[in-house]
Amino acid sequence: MSVAAPGQEGIRIEAVSHRYGDVAILDGIRIESRPGQFIALIGPSGCGKTTLLDIMCGIRKHQSGNVLVGGRPPVEGRADTARMFARDALLPWRTASANIDFALKARRRPGNHDAITAQLLEDVGLTGFADNYPSQLSQGMRQRVALARTFSLESDFLFLDEPFGALDAQTKLVLQEKLLSLWERTRSTVVLVTHDLGEAIALADRVVVMTARPGRILADVPIDLPRPRSVSALQKTRAYHDLYAQLWDSLEQATASARLHPGGNA
Amino acid sequence: MTAGRTSHAAKVLAGRLVLLFGVGGLWELAARTGVFPAAFIGQPSIFLPGLARMFIDGSIYGPILDTLSATALAFCIGGVLALASALLLTAVPILREIVQPFLDALNALPRVALVPLFIVWFGLGMTSKVISGVSLMYFILLFNTLAGARSVDPDHRGLARSLGLGSSQIFRQIVIPTAIPAIFAGLKLGLVYTLLGVVTAELIAGGKGLGSLVSYYSNTYDANGVFAVLVVLVAVSFALSTLMEKIEGRLMRWKQP
Repeated sequence: MSVAAPGQEGIRIEAVSHRYGDVAILDGIRIESRPGQFIALIGPSGCGKTTLLDIMCGIRKHQSGNVLVGGRPPVEGRADTARMFARDALLPWRTASANIDFALKARRRPGNHDAITAQLLEDVGLTGFADNYPSQLSQGMRQRVALARTFSLESDFLFLDEPFGALDAQTKLVLQEKLLSLWERTRSTVVLVTHDLGEAIALADRVVVMTARPGRILADVPIDLPRPRSVSALQKTRAYHDLYAQLWDSLEQATASARLHPGGNA
Repeated sequence: MTAGRTSHAAKVLAGRLVLLFGVGGLWELAARTGVFPAAFIGQPSIFLPGLARMFIDGSIYGPILDTLSATALAFCIGGVLALASALLLTAVPILREIVQPFLDALNALPRVALVPLFIVWFGLGMTSKVISGVSLMYFILLFNTLAGARSVDPDHRGLARSLGLGSSQIFRQIVIPTAIPAIFAGLKLGLVYTLLGVVTAELIAGGKGLGSLVSYYSNTYDANGVFAVLVVLVAVSFALSTLMEKIEGRLMRWKQP
C-alpha cells in the first residue's frame, strides 16, 4: 500500500492533531486506507469527526501531522473529491435534474448531461420527478437527489457528513441501500461520518471509533461482512449483531470518556 | 370537497359585498341626514356618478397617464440604481461596511419631507415627481436586495466550493438566485411606495396628475371630487401590485409547493 501507483492511492492520515484556541479537538489521528475502502467514522458528539472530515476535504487546514488524499494534500473543490451534506443542500430554484446538472456543469463533466442525470434519478428511484422542484419533494426524496448529485461526479473520494442523520428509520434504510448499490459500481474511497452504529457496520469495510474531545482513535474494526450487502437482510444475521455488540462496547468507552472530560458540545 | 370550497368562497364574497354596501350605505345615510355634513365627507351617490363622468368625458385619463408615467419612470430609475448599488455593495464588502450607517440614516429619514426641497431644486414639473418616487423606490429595493444577498444558505456555499466554483461563479449561481425572492418583495413594495412618492409631489407641486387633482378638489372644498380621485388612486395602486404579483408568480414557480 505504501508504494502505490499514482491514482491508486487511498487516504493517508498521519499523526494529525488540531485545536481551536485552547481546546484540543483531534489528537494523533492515524488512518491509512487502501483505495476503494469504505470507512465509517463514529464517536460521541464533539469528538472532532466532522473536523477530521473537513480536513480531508481541504476546508480546514490541519495544524500538525500529514494528510494525503490520493497521494496529494487535500484542497477544497478538488476534481477527484465529492462531499455530501447532512442536509440535502439542493438549490431550491433548480429542479431535481437541474440540481444534478449544476454539479456536472461545475465539474465540466463530459458526456450527455441529460442522459447521465436521467440514469442517476432512475438509480435512486426518482424517475418521473426530474422536473420537480425541491419544495415539491419529501425530505427523503430530496436526499436521494443529493445522493444522485454526489455520485454524478464519479469522484474517487467521497466524503459524507451524516448524510442520513435527519431521516426517519424507514427512509434511512432505503437511502442506505441506494448508497450501497451506487457505490458497488464506482467503488470510490468513502469516508462516512455518522452517529448511527448500525449504519456504520452495514455500510463500511471498516469502522473507526473516536473518543470524546480531544478525539483519538479508540478502535479501528474491520467489518468482514460479505458484499454486495443488503442493509435490511444484515439486520437478521449473527455476524452483524456480534460486530454491533463489540463496537457498542467501544462506543460506551468513548462516551464514558466524554463524561470524564466534559466540554464537548453534546 | 369542491362544493365545500365553493360555498366557502360564496360566503366570503357575500360577506365582502355586505361590508362594502353596508359601509357605503351608512356613509350615504350619514351624508343625507346631515349627521356628518356632505360638504366634508362627500356622498357616494354623487361622487360615484361623478367618477363615471370623468371616465366618459375622458378628463381623468390625462392625470392617470401623467401619474402612471412618472411612477413607471421613477420605478425603473430607482430600481436600476438600487440593483446596481446592491451589486456593487455585495461584491465589495468593505464598501458596504463603509456606507452602511449612512444608508441607514438616509433610510430612516422620512423622504416625503424632502419633497418641498426637490421642488425647489427641480421645479414644479415631472422631474420633482420622479425624483420623489425614486427616493422611496431606491432605498426599499436596495435594502431588500442587500438582505436577500446576505441570506445565502451556508450549505449552498459549501456545496459550490466543494464543486470547485470560484467566487464570481458563486455570486452568479448562488447569491443572485438566493436574493431573487427578496428582490421581488422589494419591487412589489417599492412600486406602491413609488406611487406614494409621486402623488405626494403632485399634492404639493400641483400641475397635472392625480395628486394635483386631489389637491385641486380639496382646495375648492369639493369632497366628492377628492373621493372620486381617491377611488382612482386605489384602483391604480391595486392594479400595479396585482401586476407585480402575476409576474412574480410566473418567475418564481419553484417557491410554490
